[in-house]
Parts: sequence; C-alpha cells; structure tokens
Amino acid sequence: MTHRLKIEDFGRNPDRPLTQIDLEDLVPLPPPYDQAAALPKWKELTKEAKERFACNLDGVVALGLPKPKDAAEEQATVDRFVSGLKKLLTKENNWTFLQPLVLSLEYCAKCQSCNDSCPIYTASGSNDLYRPTYRSEVWRRLVHKYLKPGGALLARLKHGDIDLNWTTVSRLYELCYRCTMCRRCAQACPMGVDNGLITHELRKLFSQELGWAPKELHERGTQLQLKVGSSTGMNPEVVKDNIQFIDEEFAEESGLDATTPWDQEDADVLLIHNAGEIMSWPENPAAFAIILNAAGIKWTLTSDEPSYDGVNYGLFYDDFQLARIALKHAGTAKKLRAKKVLMGECGHQHKVMMTISDRILLGDLSIRRESCIPLLERIVFGGKIKFDPSKNNFPVTLHDPCNITRNLGIIEPQRRILRYLCPQFREMAPHGAENYCCGGGSGFAVMSGNNFGDWRKAIASRVKFKQVLEAFRDCAGPEVKKYVCAPCSNCKGAFRDMLEYYGAKEKSSIIYGGLVELIVNAMVGLKKPFIKWEEE
Amino acid sequence: MTLLAFCYLAVGFFAVAFVHRAWAIASMPVHLRWELAPVPHEASKAHYGGSYLEEYEWWTKPREKSLVSEGIYMFKEIVLLRGVWEHNPRMWTFSFPFHFGIYLLVAMAGCAFLAAWGLPLFGSLARMLAILGYCLGCLGTAGLLYMRLADPKLSAFTTPATCFNLLFLFLVFSTGAYSVFGLADFTGELAKLMKAFFTIDTTVALPAAARIHVVAAAAFLVYLPFTHMLHFLAKYFTYHEIRWNDEPMTAGSAMEAEVKALLSQPVEWAAPHIGADGKKNWVDVATQEVQK
Ligand code: HEM
Repeated sequence: MTHRLKIEDFGRNPDRPLTQIDLEDLVPLPPPYDQAAALPKWKELTKEAKERFACNLDGVVALGLPKPKDAAEEQATVDRFVSGLKKLLTKENNWTFLQPLVLSLEYCAKCQSCNDSCPIYTASGSNDLYRPTYRSEVWRRLVHKYLKPGGALLARLKHGDIDLNWTTVSRLYELCYRCTMCRRCAQACPMGVDNGLITHELRKLFSQELGWAPKELHERGTQLQLKVGSSTGMNPEVVKDNIQFIDEEFAEESGLDATTPWDQEDADVLLIHNAGEIMSWPENPAAFAIILNAAGIKWTLTSDEPSYDGVNYGLFYDDFQLARIALKHAGTAKKLRAKKVLMGECGHQHKVMMTISDRILLGDLSIRRESCIPLLERIVFGGKIKFDPSKNNFPVTLHDPCNITRNLGIIEPQRRILRYLCPQFREMAPHGAENYCCGGGSGFAVMSGNNFGDWRKAIASRVKFKQVLEAFRDCAGPEVKKYVCAPCSNCKGAFRDMLEYYGAKEKSSIIYGGLVELIVNAMVGLKKPFIKWEEE
Repeated sequence: MTLLAFCYLAVGFFAVAFVHRAWAIASMPVHLRWELAPVPHEASKAHYGGSYLEEYEWWTKPREKSLVSEGIYMFKEIVLLRGVWEHNPRMWTFSFPFHFGIYLLVAMAGCAFLAAWGLPLFGSLARMLAILGYCLGCLGTAGLLYMRLADPKLSAFTTPATCFNLLFLFLVFSTGAYSVFGLADFTGELAKLMKAFFTIDTTVALPAAARIHVVAAAAFLVYLPFTHMLHFLAKYFTYHEIRWNDEPMTAGSAMEAEVKALLSQPVEWAAPHIGADGKKNWVDVATQEVQK
C-alpha cells in the first residue's frame, strides 16, 4: 500500500490520523523474522488515551499531548507557536544554530535525494509522512506563509500552501519525534540542507517556547538530573554505593583490580559515564575500572551532581538545558583540576562535550575533553596489558553510534581494537560514517510511552536489526553465539529492546554489549569469562 | 542601446544582489559546532570519514588540513553532481545534463569573450560549447519538468514557482539553441555584444533571435537572486561553514570574543523552565539553578 501525502494535508482532517501503519508494508526482514504476524502485537491505545491525547498523526502517541479544552486554548497555542517560530529565526534567541537553520530553510531543492538514506522512511515501506523532507517542508511553508513578507498568495505560489491551526501544531510536535536526528539525510543532501537539524530546532521551539517536551527527556531527564544529579534518579550516595558494589563483585569474579577512585584532584583522567550504565550494564563501568587500573592510569570518577552522569538530553530538545548540564560537567572538571575529561561509552555525551559545547565552554571551563576510544586503543596496543584474542573467538559485529562516527568522525580506532581482539570481527554494511542509527537516537531509547515503544522497535530500529542479521548471515542459527558491540548506552538500550522484540536472543543467539567488555574478556589473567551469554 | 542597457542593468543587479545575499549569510553569527563526516580536509582520514578527534590527545598533534582533498571533493560535487548521482540517479539523468549545460555555457561565454579580442580559435570552441550547452540545457530542463510533474515522489513538493523556474530556464536554453542553429554565427554575435559591453559601444546590433535570447538570459539573471536557485552560493556555506567547520575554540580568538558578545544578548524564550524575562542574558539563564 502506498501512502501518498501532500504537504497541504497536514493541517486538514483534524479528527483522523494522517496515515496508518500497516505492519505488512514494512521493509521485509530475513527469516525467521519475515512473518509480521509472528511479532508481538502493538500495544493498543486505551480509550482514555485516545480521548485525552492528540492522536492525529500516525496512530502512535509518543508524547501524550493533551487535547485543548476549547477554541481559545487552541488559538493561544497557535499564537505561542508562531511566536516561537519567530524566535527561532532571530540572532538574539537562536544564534547557536541560526546560520545552519536559515540555509536549510531557504535552499532545499526538493529533489528528495535524501529520502532513501533515512532508516525510518525506508523501514516504513516508504511512508510519505516519514520522509526526511516532509516535516521540513511543513515548517518551511509555515515560515514563508506566516512570517515572511509578501503575503499568503506569493507564499502559496512560491512555496506551496499550508494551514496553521492546532492540528498542524500538534501534529508537527509529534512528528518531531519520528526522526532520530541521525543526519544520514544531511550527508546525502547535495545542497548541504540538514533535515536532522530542522527536527532539532523544531523540538527546541516546542520546549523553549511552549514548554512541551517528552517527559522522559525533560521532567525525568534533564530536570531530574539538575535536581537530583542523574536522570536515573540516583543521588551521589546511591551512585557511590552502587559502584562500590560493582567494584567488589567484578573484582571477585575477574580476579583483577576493579577499584574506582572517587573525587581525586589533579587526576590525568576524569571519567564520566552515562549513569544508565551503572543501573543497567554494570559490567561496563567495571570493565573501564579494570582496564584503567591495569594500564596504570591516574583516573577518577566524581560524585559531584550532576557530573557522575554524562547524560545530557538537552542535546535532543533544548539548548538551555544542554548548556546548564554541560557547564556543570565542565565546572566539576575545573574544580578537580582534571587534566582531561574522558567520555565513557555514550554517544550523545561525546557529541555534547566534545563539539556542541566546545564554543560555550570558555575561559577556565575549557578543560580538554576526549573520547575514551583513542585512549582504549593506546592501552590495547601499548603492551602493558596482555591479551589473548582467542578468548573472543565468536562472531562480533560493530554498531557505529551516530554521534561518535557521523558527527565526530571517530571511526577507525575502535575497529583496530576489534580487528586485533576479535578474530571473527565482521562489518555491517554500510558502516562507519555511513552507518544506520540503532533507532534509539535523539532520546528514543528512553521513550516508550503509550504505543511509541512498539513503533520504535518495529520501525525506527528495523533497518539496524536487518543489518545485524545480514552481518551474521553466515552463522545465522541459534547454535552460534554472536555479539553486537555497541559502544554507547543509548544504542545499547535500543539493542536491548530491539533484540527482545524480535526474539533474537532465542532465535539467533545474538547479544549486545560495549567495547570495553570485549577488551576485558580478552585479557590474560582473567579468572572467568567477562562476557556472560546467559545473563544478557 | 536598449539591449546593452538592459545587459548592464541585469549584470549590475545580479552582482549587487549576489554580494548582498552572500553577505547576509556570511554575517550571521558563529554557530555551535555541527560538523558532519566526511570532512574532506582531513587528508589521510577523509576517505573513511575520520577526523582529528580519533587522535589520542588530539590537541597535542598538528592538524593536517588538505585543500587538495577538499578541492577534489568539491570538483566531484559541483561538476559531476556526485551527491545526486549516488542518492538520486534517476534525477541525475536530467539534473547532470542541465547543470553541465550551464557550466558549458559559462565556459562558452568566456571563450566568446576571448574571441572578441581577436583569438579566433576560441570562436570555434565557443560554438561547440554553445551547441552542446544549449542542447543539454534543453534536455535537462524538459526532463526535470516532466519528472517534477509526473513523479509522485517529487510532485507533492512541486509548486507553481518550480514549474515557472524550469520553464524560464527552458526558454533561455531553447532560444539559445534556436539562435545557435538558426544564425550563421551566433557566438560571433555574442562576442560582438561582449566587446560592446566592455567598451561601452552603444552602436552594437544583434539579429532578432540572438536579441531575444540575450534578453531572456539577462532577465533570468535578474530573477535568480530571488530564488533558491542561488544554491551554489549557499552550498559554499553549508559545506565550508557548517559540515566542514571543525575549528576548535581557542582562548583569545576572534571567535571567542564573538561568542562572548552573543552570550550577553537577552533571552526571550517563554517556557517557564527557561526562566527568561527578556533582560537576563544567555549566561544568566544558563547558569540559573533549577528549583529543587
Ligand atoms: C554547486 C554545485 C551544485 C549542486 C550540487 C547543485 C544541485 C542541484 C540540485 C540537486 C538541484 C535539484 C534537482 C534539479 O532540479 O536538478 C538543482 C537544481 C537547480 N540548479 Fe543546481 N546545483 C549546483 C550548482 C548550480 C549552479 C552553478 C547553477 C547555476 C545557476 C545551478 C542552477 C540550478 C537551477 C536553476 C536548478 C533548478 C531549480 C528548480 O528546479 O527550481 N545549480 N541543483
């Protein structure tokens, strides 16, 4: 079934979704995953949810935006939206991304060259709503019709028509959360237009002007982190307790030194983890501790709020929340006089700290910041630690987190490690800078409200899952255990959900984990294998 | 005289409008870093999309920046439309002839100019380029117009202006093709006009077909800066200033001074959690504590 949508449709027919998703339309997966009917049923939206929340886009509700009470509330929302639209295009309120945004506003050639590079559009079976250009074009038409001089007629002739009403605003809000901002489309654009950036800026408009953002990213994300110290809800005592427990447990199991130093001043390395690791993947911080100790690095974690959590969801929806957290992270590094801040295995933390906030961390806040990957490479090839790669003699493939590869260009060091330590390492196609997003990008990994979790697993993660299956084509059956190396917490969250949704652990014996786990698993002198296939 | 005056007006207008638009983009404030792999000036890493951030303590290493590698990338992008070829081969079938046609015609104008100053070899070259350029241009624009109307993937985004642009271009190319095939020495006539243009020779006269073509082309030049067709200018910025701008902040730099000034601007965003009041600046807002 094709889903032909016009841009003009966006503000029309308020009472029904613009499009419907039919699982039979989705891009096919290889057997045994080729039967749509055999996959878990999507969560039905409750009657109450349908009555309370805007459900007018694609039958999926990620955000739970309450419907307006009356016409006055509708109009007020539209007015606030227009006011935000204006601010987005001013130097005072949006200098941070003004130039890229204006260029993307004015120079799209509508050639659709970007479409097929989008994993969501591709996975959906080419549903027009998910084209990277669709959302952007709605925004573009709104700007030209409602903000630019020349009047509605000229705007219509030049840029095409669009209605602005509550339906348009609420649909656009929801549609901002159907793109993981992976920027694959931007790579494909012959003009350099960036639809991922447009998504980013629209999300900002909704958050910074209307106060609308997904609960998982705002209330339970940045706000919680700024209030308590971490988006996981852990305060400093709990983090220290948890890490102590992890240290003891893994020291005992591995027979290696897994001690974590806390709040050391003048350390060579201030390591900041995504705190989600501590809660969900404790083997990851443990592996870091083992490697850094074995390599003799002078390192530390911090118990400063919110710097024991490298998460910064501000990147996904709000410049000010981003800045607030980034400034605190840098402030801790300054206080401890750390020589550098090391990013743990977290893609968006890498991007926030290393590039996005590079131009706002001024003066004594401009502490050196580095990815853990080059340091890990140095350690692995440095000779101080002995490795036995045969311990990793199982099929391994590498998932490239968009924020580390496409956005930062850190691509080869992790591969050199894997080629050395994993005899059966194989690439996905495509990979590196052209990788596909895991489907958890831009905050999706922590968003599962209503039936959004199903959409995310069935559509946003689908192309990635297909790539994984293809990488393991030669050993597809469950008798061979296989490992997807995903050096990013959010990506791991997406893999956890995706593999569970498709039943890939049982049907194909595929597990996932980080990079440091594979490094430790290959260390000589380890008491027991570090990677535990059963527990995953 | 009227033809020449129109040419002066058109070229002058285009030059001013072009500089104006370029300035409008160039004078926008510095933005946060937003680079995108591959960054071709990373000489030894560009082929796989790598960057200097792969280096252990990158700040201690010299940056390798290769303009040659950037140049090769740009050549492929601009002349061969590599991006369109890779991601949209169907459209490339027409977009490439169309763009290449334009490039050939620009080269043709250059040759006609040289021919006007007594270099006859360039006259023959100009004629060959004109024949090829106009034919490719006609083929490309007609094909693109057809695609934009008939292909449902494109037509949802097609506006009256899209069709007008392509028809306008078709008019320019077709009147050129008509002149080059219909007149005995069209490029010679163009050479004459160019010489008159630079020597302000108001007595110059052109056959009707050539006149019509020149008027159409000059009118297009006037129209161009009002449209997104100026994308070749924008592309410079989207690539060099955004995708490939990986310049780290350095203390005491001009960029630092600019950012400091930007951070001192008042913030007006209205959502309650921002806590802006139109007076507090970016630093105030970003360092404000969240209520616990
Ligand atoms: C810098 C390299 C350039 C690239 C990558 C590029 C790319 C494109 C693309 C992708 C399109 C849309 C597809 C199509 O309609 O063919 C397009 C259209 C167009 N380009 Fe370019 N272009 C470039 C340079 C130029 C130059 C130097 C001109 C000269 C004036 C030009 C004039 C046009 C025009 C007139 C259109 C048609 C616009 C429309 O359909 O409304 N382009 N270009």
